[in-house]
Formats: sequence, structure tokens, C-alpha cells
Amino acid sequence: MTVISKNSKSSSKWREFLRSRTLFAWLLITPAALFMFLIVGWPLLETIRLSFTNAGLGGEQYIGWDNYEKLLNNRKYPGIVGRTFYWMFLSVLLKMIIGTIGALLLNAKIRGKAAFRVMVMPPWIVPMAIGCIGWLWLYNGHFGILAGVLMRLGIIDGPFEFLAYKSSAFYSAVVTDVWIGTPMISIFILAAMQSVPDDLYEAAYVDGASRWYRFRRITIPQIMPVIVTMSLLSAIWTFNSFEVIWILTEGGPLGATTTMIIDTYKMAIANYKFGYGATRALMVVLSLAVFSLLYLILLNKINERYKTK
Amino acid sequence: MATVSLKSIKKSFDSTQVLFDINLDIEDKEFIVFVGPSGCGKTTLLRIIAGLEEATNGEIEIDGIEVSDAHPIERGISMVFQSYALYPHLNVFENIAFPLRVAKLPKAEIENLVMRAAETLQLTDRLNFKPGQLSGGQRQRVAIGRSIVRQPKVFLFDEPLSNLDAALRGEMRVELAKLHKSLDATMIYVTHDQVEAMTMADRIVVLSEGKVEQFGTPMELYHRPSTKFVAGFIGHPKMNFLKVPHLSSSSKGVSVELPEIGEQLLPVETKAENSGDELEIGIRPEDLILSKTAKGLPMKVEVLERLGGSTLVYGSVSLNQNFCALLQGDALVSEGETIKLVASPSSFHVFDSNGDAMKRQEVPEVMS
Repeated sequence: MTVISKNSKSSSKWREFLRSRTLFAWLLITPAALFMFLIVGWPLLETIRLSFTNAGLGGEQYIGWDNYEKLLNNRKYPGIVGRTFYWMFLSVLLKMIIGTIGALLLNAKIRGKAAFRVMVMPPWIVPMAIGCIGWLWLYNGHFGILAGVLMRLGIIDGPFEFLAYKSSAFYSAVVTDVWIGTPMISIFILAAMQSVPDDLYEAAYVDGASRWYRFRRITIPQIMPVIVTMSLLSAIWTFNSFEVIWILTEGGPLGATTTMIIDTYKMAIANYKFGYGATRALMVVLSLAVFSLLYLILLNKINERYKTK
Repeated sequence: MATVSLKSIKKSFDSTQVLFDINLDIEDKEFIVFVGPSGCGKTTLLRIIAGLEEATNGEIEIDGIEVSDAHPIERGISMVFQSYALYPHLNVFENIAFPLRVAKLPKAEIENLVMRAAETLQLTDRLNFKPGQLSGGQRQRVAIGRSIVRQPKVFLFDEPLSNLDAALRGEMRVELAKLHKSLDATMIYVTHDQVEAMTMADRIVVLSEGKVEQFGTPMELYHRPSTKFVAGFIGHPKMNFLKVPHLSSSSKGVSVELPEIGEQLLPVETKAENSGDELEIGIRPEDLILSKTAKGLPMKVEVLERLGGSTLVYGSVSLNQNFCALLQGDALVSEGETIKLVASPSSFHVFDSNGDAMKRQEVPEVMS
């Protein structure tokens, strides 16, 4: 008797618990979870499905691993993957270095620093397409200011189309991408720098530490977690950066600026090969997943080193 | 190791002047405490000595050498900050070693010096901990460790105990006093707590609104406060003040009229400018006793605090609503009644209308 009554009691308690807390919590996150599934989960699953088909304008058929085999045997693809990582590393590195220097300058105790802080924001605030079109004009060989200045300085002899040559187009695109991505990095690092207590610097100053020494042994360790997190985010954004390259060069000339995301777009949308494009899109997902995993392991190690407890 | 002298130091932030003409001569190996209410400029003065702040005017000499424009390192000072300013990402060893690393000392020597400091401060078993893992008292010791490894000539402390709880503060006071003895160094210590000042200082500088109110030994300050401000600031519980009619002055002292006691001669040295219709008298709570006769200052008792060994009585006397008397633990007093208090005439302090004290003629032996 007692056992049964206990059981029924606990099961009614369980029911009550479900009703009061867990179920309520589930109910609360369900709309968001459903939404996330619809805009992230479902397209991802659909992409995986498509990658095993020859989907195109003429319908689709299941073709197994054919797309993957074709991609792995594609002689150009390793070059595209390599270029994408090079693009990412170069752009993120520059954004972080310039962003940190920018943050240092913005953190200087000078009159009108608030104005300077606002003045660095436009590249990030201006719609990317408009910014890129501005750069298109800068890079223009006949009307662009860059070619004009270089010509007057005597560095180049005639009009130079920055975006028309394999070597210059890639680095020109990097410059534009860095221009767009740096302000936000600067602002985040600035915020981190401002959270470093003044008395740490004063203590180090009293102990005779030079400016550079203080930067190296106080500022850098104190903002390290932010630098590491921001470079991961920036890496993912840069890896997937589409607009900048597409507006400037559409991946050309001769594929010199074709990164994995541009390549995927060209294949899937421009060439209507949805199935094969989906395979390439999954490669992007896979590359980023592996990269992020490795990065997070590194992040943990760095946090371990700079942790305060 | 070093004398410190400040010559007409002035400091303004924009249009606000915070220090007015500070002149101090600090002897070698003295423990000096700057004390005063918040906003009196004591921390600013310390930061000027440290070299973290530049004086608008005046000179600083350490060991007879003018250092007004010198870097803190050249001044030979080290400082312990109110917040301790420990580097959160470095462990205790590296925190203490920081100034030595800056000075690029050889590894073995750094290790040696850090270990010695850690032993002095009982931190040897905490060397691998990060500051975040330490208790308040331990952090305090690490901060002190960092300041002693460099063996500076002058130690500066900016309210180092204010973040500790009362019990720990008491312990650290004793430890700091011991440290001062063992280091044989000049120490300048800023606090707003007059108990810290009284217990640790060789000499105290009382600051108020950017001016030195008085500079002297703790007992001088206690027995011969030069102004009403110092009299009210030093001593706990605070001195009681009463405005009383001034009857006459002579070489024996001043005669005032005390409530219900009538004319009373108080033995202080008078000056011509000390004449006036009204004087302010000060009497410390611990100098008051219950009158055995019906005569005495009438005090309406409002609150009693029985501490066992003593009893604190709060209430009003005449126009002073915050009168306090420190009586014996078993004093027969109850809330609501009016008691009569008396004190020896020589224990009274007398202040003129400017708040300046008249020199007391008789003070206890401990003064000398």
C-alpha cells in the first residue's frame, strides 16, 4: 500500500514538475527552435540531400557519391581551397593588426576622442555594396584616384587596372575586405582595452616598465580573450565573404579571386548545377567546421594560459 | 634610507585647486601617515610623491636630491595601490617578480629575491596561484611583496587596508608595523581611518581641503590638536564641542560659562586675538565622568551602547545634539534620564572663533 501510494505521489510530482518548469521551458524555446530549424537546419539537410543528386534545370536524380568523386578529382579545386584559406588568413591577420593599432590610437587620452571613435565607423556602417562600388572606382585604371596618384608619382607609366590582373586583383580585394572589416575589430578591442584597470598601468609605470613593456605584458594578455574570439568570428565572416569579391571581380580574372564561396555560387546559381553546387557548399561547411574546431581547441589553451583564476 | 621633503607643493586640476602650498619634511625611516576625510587631497599628494601626478608648483626632494621631474624608478619609490593592482593573468611569483623582470635582473637573482619576499610575507605556498584565487589579505601581501623586492628607499601606501574586513585590518596593521621595523625604510601611508593613523604612524599629517592642518606625533595630535578640525578628526569616539560664553582671559587661562556649572577656568594659553564673546570648548568622551554631586553638565541620554568594559552614552547637552560620553561598563545610567557629567578643567580644549586651538597648559606625561 505504502509503496503504491509513494509511487503515485512521485509520479504526480513528476507530472507537476513537468507542468511547472520543464515543459514551460520547452514551450518557451520551441518557437525559436522551430525558427532556427526552418532557416538553418532544414536548408542544411536539403543541401546534403541535393549533394547526392544531379539536380539542375532538367530535374533531379539520385546519383550517390558521384558529385563528391567528381569534386575530389577536379584539378582546380585544391587551388580554390588553398586560395580561400590564404584569403582568410591574410585578411584576418591584417584586420587584427590594423584593428589593434587603431584601438590603441582610439584609446589615447586626447581631446575629441569620441569624434575619432565615430569617424572610424563608416566603412562598417556604409552598406557593403556602396562601399565596394566606391572601391571599384578607386581601382579603376583610367578614372581611379589610386592609378592617378601612382602615375603622378611616376611609379607606374600608364593607366593600371588593379582588378584586371591575376596578382593585383587578389590583393586589391583583400585591401577592400580589410577596409570593411577593421572598424568593428577596432571597436571590440577598444572596449577590451578600456576594461583594463588604469592602476595596473600605473603600478607597472611605478615599477619602471616602458610603454612597450606595459603593452606587451599588460594590455595584450588582458585583451587576449577578445582578440582570440574576434579573430575566430572574423575568420568565419571572411571565409564566407561574398559581396566584396563578387562586386569587385566576380571571382576573376581567370579565377584569381575565386574563393570557395564564390566557386559554390558560380556552380550552383550561375551554372544551374544545384546538385554539384550543393556538394561544394558542404565542403565550405566542412572546412569551416574543422577550422573552428581546431581554433576552439587553441582558444581553450590560450584561455588556460591567461585565465585569472 | 631616505628623507623626503616637499616644498610648497600646489596642485590644480583644470580650475580646481586641490593642494595648497604643502610643506613637509619627512625624516629617514619614519612611518608617516597622511590622514584626512575623502577629497582632502591626500591621495593626490601621495601620487605626486610617487611621480604619477605632476605638481602644478613646488619641489620634491628625496634624499636631498630634487626629483620633481624624475621617473618613479629614479625617485627610488615603490607604491602599493588601494586596489592592489595585481596583474590578474600572472601568478603570485610573476606578480612579485614583475619589477625585477622590468629591471632585467638575472633569473637566479630574481628567484632568490622573490623567494625571500615570499618568505617574509608567508606566501611561499601560494606562488603558483593567480590573484583571483587568493583571499583579500593574501592579495594585500602580494602587493606588498611586489613593492619590497625592489628594495626602494621610500614606500608609498594608498589606503592599502580599506578593502579588508575589520579583523583582517587589525592583523595587517600589526604586520605592516613589523614590516616597517624589519625594512628600516621610510614609509608614507595614506588612509582616511584615524585608528590606522594613530596606531602605525611615527608622525601624522592631517590634511583638510588641500591644506596641512597639523603635522605631529599621534600623541601630539591627540593631546594638542592645533585646530578644531584635528581635534574632531583624531580620537574615537569623536570629541564633543560646545559653544559657550567667554567671560574673561588671564595668564591662568580663560573663564567660560558652562551650562549649569557656571563659571569655569580652563588652563590654556591665551593670546590677544583670542578675545571674543563666544568660545568653543572641546571635551573628549573618555575624559567625562559621572558627577558625584548635583553639579555637572546636564546630558539627556538618548542611546546607550554597553560594550561590557565601557559604556557609550549618546544624547544632547545644551545645543549639541550629538554629545557622547565614554563611561564605565557598570555606570548607572538609563535611556531617557538626564545625567550630570564633569571633567577635569585641564582636559578641556578651547577653540577661538577661527577654529584655532589655544595651547593647553597641562597635558599628560605621555607627550614627551
